[in-house]
Amino acid sequence: MNKTFAIVKKELHSYFSSPIAYIILIATLSLFNVFFFFIIDQNHEASLRDIFILMEFMFVFLIPLLTMRMFSEEKANGTMEFLLTSPLTLTMIVLGKYFSMLIFFTLLISMTATYYFILDYFGDPDPISILSGYVGIWLEGAFFIAIGLLVSSWTRNQIIAALVSYALIFSLYFAASFTKYFTGSVESFFMQSSTRTHLENFAVGIITPSNITYYLTGIILCLVLTRLSIDNRLWQ
Amino acid sequence: MLIAKHISKKFGVYQALENVSFEINKGDIVGFLGKNGAGKTTLMRILTTFLTASAGTVIIDGEDIGKHSLSVREKIGYLPEKPPLYSDMTVKSYLKFAAQIKGVSAKKESFQVAKVLDDCDLNRVEKQKIATLSKGYQQRVGIAQAIIHEPKLLILDEPTSGLDPIQILQVLALIKNQRDQRTVLLSTHTLNEIEQVAQRVLMMKSGKIVLDAPLNELLEKKQLAQSYPITLEQIFIEYHQETPPRPFVSASSVKG
Repeated sequence: MNKTFAIVKKELHSYFSSPIAYIILIATLSLFNVFFFFIIDQNHEASLRDIFILMEFMFVFLIPLLTMRMFSEEKANGTMEFLLTSPLTLTMIVLGKYFSMLIFFTLLISMTATYYFILDYFGDPDPISILSGYVGIWLEGAFFIAIGLLVSSWTRNQIIAALVSYALIFSLYFAASFTKYFTGSVESFFMQSSTRTHLENFAVGIITPSNITYYLTGIILCLVLTRLSIDNRLWQ
Repeated sequence: MLIAKHISKKFGVYQALENVSFEINKGDIVGFLGKNGAGKTTLMRILTTFLTASAGTVIIDGEDIGKHSLSVREKIGYLPEKPPLYSDMTVKSYLKFAAQIKGVSAKKESFQVAKVLDDCDLNRVEKQKIATLSKGYQQRVGIAQAIIHEPKLLILDEPTSGLDPIQILQVLALIKNQRDQRTVLLSTHTLNEIEQVAQRVLMMKSGKIVLDAPLNELLEKKQLAQSYPITLEQIFIEYHQETPPRPFVSASSVKG
């Protein structure tokens, strides 16, 4: 556990020692703020439902940018050899990387918690549905990060890692749009595999075991596949 | 200390290593020679568990690296050909990180970091970012991370490549200082470096070990057989050319 924590600390230090982390935080929060005021002004509702839907759409673009370097950079710099010849298990390496990005992401969305207090000051928001929305958006971000981490374990090229992550995350995000072309079990498959279907429930305050299972299964599957990809040195 | 038995490695159809066997005794400094593409780096990567062999076994300090990979890695210090450094970290924070992931206890961490900073003469640059260091200093940081957990076996892949003569002497002195504390396997293309620090020579050619002998014995035997002074460089050339090497005759003896 100490070794995993050492990797988390090193990764967080790496994000915050360059201006990129600050630029991403400031740019993303500025966009969220602008849209928050637009949406509230248009809807006149003390709700963050549409903000969560917007956040999901923006994370489709943002998260591949954050995750593209996670393993690709280690491989390009030769430090992957350092990690893999140190007395670390693959699980420690994968979890260390994953948790560090999850902490960064949690910090990013926790900064939007001020929206609740603004709504509470001017209106009467439902705290349960807002909390449920945050759980949903956090799980969705955690899933996207796991996908980005997996893809970055396949290649030493950061651009390729970002593009393939986009392709996978976009497919999951837009899967629900294909339901009109199919019927029966295929339609249901596309509907259930889409992240939008599951987040919509959270955004309106509905937390069901199937929605949580969807995200947790996706996260665990990606982390297991990342471990396998590194174990088999797939990028070589 | 290290026993490699019948190691083979294939990358697709390319046979990188073929039936490689050798032993290294505790406390030896072994020079590892071979042309580019001979299989040295592949073999070192197998010894450090970065790659797995297609066939064969490696025993390090009594443990099979395939079965006890994690505990074997605690006993190995490894400097790859390109020093594995995080350029955005300072020297000290990088060495702290190396100590933590290599299992140095929290109690001993500060002591070990201070010790390797001292041993590798890095005190002057400990607060500097690695990206701003000269190549020589970066190489020393690479060696420092390899010895921070006091490994029993030190594997160095071309630790002097790209360094200036002064830096080479400093790195060689550092390697010599390891003699009493650990076993060292040193790969280099500069043969006089091997003559300066190694007691034994392993030479690879086309994925096979073609020479495994104590350095002194090797030079003496060759000298007696050929009745003129011989260097490791000449032995290396002899093993890597099709026709036998021409006898070494100095310019002065030709004139005389």
